[in-house]
Amino acid sequence: MEFKRNIRVIKALIEIRFQNLMMFRLGFFGPFFVDGSLFLIQLMVFQAIYSNVDRIGTWGRGEMIVFIGTFSMINAINMVVYFFGINGLPQKIKNGDLDLYLTKPGSPLVRMTFEKINPGSLPLVGMSVLIIAYGIHQLGKPISGVAIAGYLFWIILMTILFYEMEVIIRSICFFVLSNANVTRIEEIGLELCMKIPGIVFYGGYRLLFCCILPYGIMATLPVQSLIGELSVLGAVYGILLTIIFTIITRGVWKRGVRCYNSASS
Amino acid sequence: MKYLEISKIYIKSQLVWRADVVFQVLFTVTKILFAYLLWGIIFNDRTEVAGFSFQSMLSYYVISSFLSQIEMSDGISSEISQRIRSGTFSKYIVIPIDIQKYFIAMEVGVVAYYGIFQFMAAFVWVIIFRIQFVVSHNPIIILCAFLLVVLGLLFMVQLNYYLGLLALKYQEIGTFLMIKNNLVAFITGSIVPLMLLPEGIVSVMKLFPFYYVTYLPSMLFIGQLESEAVPGLVIIFIWCVMLQVLIHVTWGSYRRKYDGVGI
Repeated sequence: MEFKRNIRVIKALIEIRFQNLMMFRLGFFGPFFVDGSLFLIQLMVFQAIYSNVDRIGTWGRGEMIVFIGTFSMINAINMVVYFFGINGLPQKIKNGDLDLYLTKPGSPLVRMTFEKINPGSLPLVGMSVLIIAYGIHQLGKPISGVAIAGYLFWIILMTILFYEMEVIIRSICFFVLSNANVTRIEEIGLELCMKIPGIVFYGGYRLLFCCILPYGIMATLPVQSLIGELSVLGAVYGILLTIIFTIITRGVWKRGVRCYNSASS
Repeated sequence: MKYLEISKIYIKSQLVWRADVVFQVLFTVTKILFAYLLWGIIFNDRTEVAGFSFQSMLSYYVISSFLSQIEMSDGISSEISQRIRSGTFSKYIVIPIDIQKYFIAMEVGVVAYYGIFQFMAAFVWVIIFRIQFVVSHNPIIILCAFLLVVLGLLFMVQLNYYLGLLALKYQEIGTFLMIKNNLVAFITGSIVPLMLLPEGIVSVMKLFPFYYVTYLPSMLFIGQLESEAVPGLVIIFIWCVMLQVLIHVTWGSYRRKYDGVGI
């Protein structure tokens, strides 16, 4: 029943968002151009590296292109669906605007997640598909339907993990005055992990980027699944980590809402 | 003298935002860590890539990260464009200063402050990552590299000032500025050394100023591309002069469009 109601709310939010976007058309495709340029440059960087070396670890050019495309895809889904909604959370906590969400029927987090969908970033999804297709072509080996299904499963799972990281980081604002510096840690982690695959991490770096700030596995696991490099242990780890982060996200959000005192600052 | 005061004020104002220094330093380590992990695994089974040994590659990244982190002039373009949009650019018009010199003085203050911390941080990273730092022993080349750094910083201030002024005509340039930042990181050699690119592309890049902002000074400091030092100085100096003329012309024609109202 609640699920059905949430679907209706999401549908209504998307309609409102489209009406809003029609009014402010300026910069509609801005996020596409910004993130598109970022990932194209990423491609050029690795083309430059691979023109001098054959492999990075066990990965050749094809695997790396699929990796960049996968990160771009997860980022694109993030930009289209929930980034602009969740990103506004700290400001809403600070100025007391969260009241409007808490007093309305339906889940405030669902509403915030879907209220600012950004169709201007949709071309990013298309661009990511092209990069992934090019990477698969570069792999030079046939990819089975099962591998593609597995790959899509991991994309969805890692997108959820990405979402949870965003919510957790921004929910810190419930407990402190400003989370500006925490979001910068997110930036730092993302900047690093979108450039290097998880297979490169070892020791303490692996603990940091594959467990505490798990950006290192977000694009790596889908690629490993696609190329048949993902072990059972790796798969179990990825699923367990997502479940753990789901529990943490729920806990942080619920505790945060309880701490919220509605006072603006 | 008044511009020196502006620099001093900006040094003092940076003291308020101490956490920013910490995060700037963390951004530097991200770049070095990127190099350490990525190139570490690449150099596992080889000793040289495009003329770099592992140690010279890390030395390159330490220097280029330091240079790219102290180059903080992108704030100038966003400051100008936001103020033009909001109508508060009048602040700069009414005070008795040359606006461009004000921003240069501001940049000097910011660079002086962050430069000290970034330098100390670079030193610490060299020790932590056990980098056998490769550095040129030729004093003339070192001097040329320093001059290139100064001219490179000046060029970036000019460029960002010029781009900020474009908001007088085009109003919303935020997206363009973000794309520019992405592109500049690549073409200045902050992400990977430009030597890894095909020779034809590098030859074309040599005609443009970005090659001389971070990449060439970093290479000179580690004792490579010494023959390009003097031509590099000449080319970036010419670009600075050309950009100054462009700024003069642009400001002359666009300033009438500013209405001080904002949107």
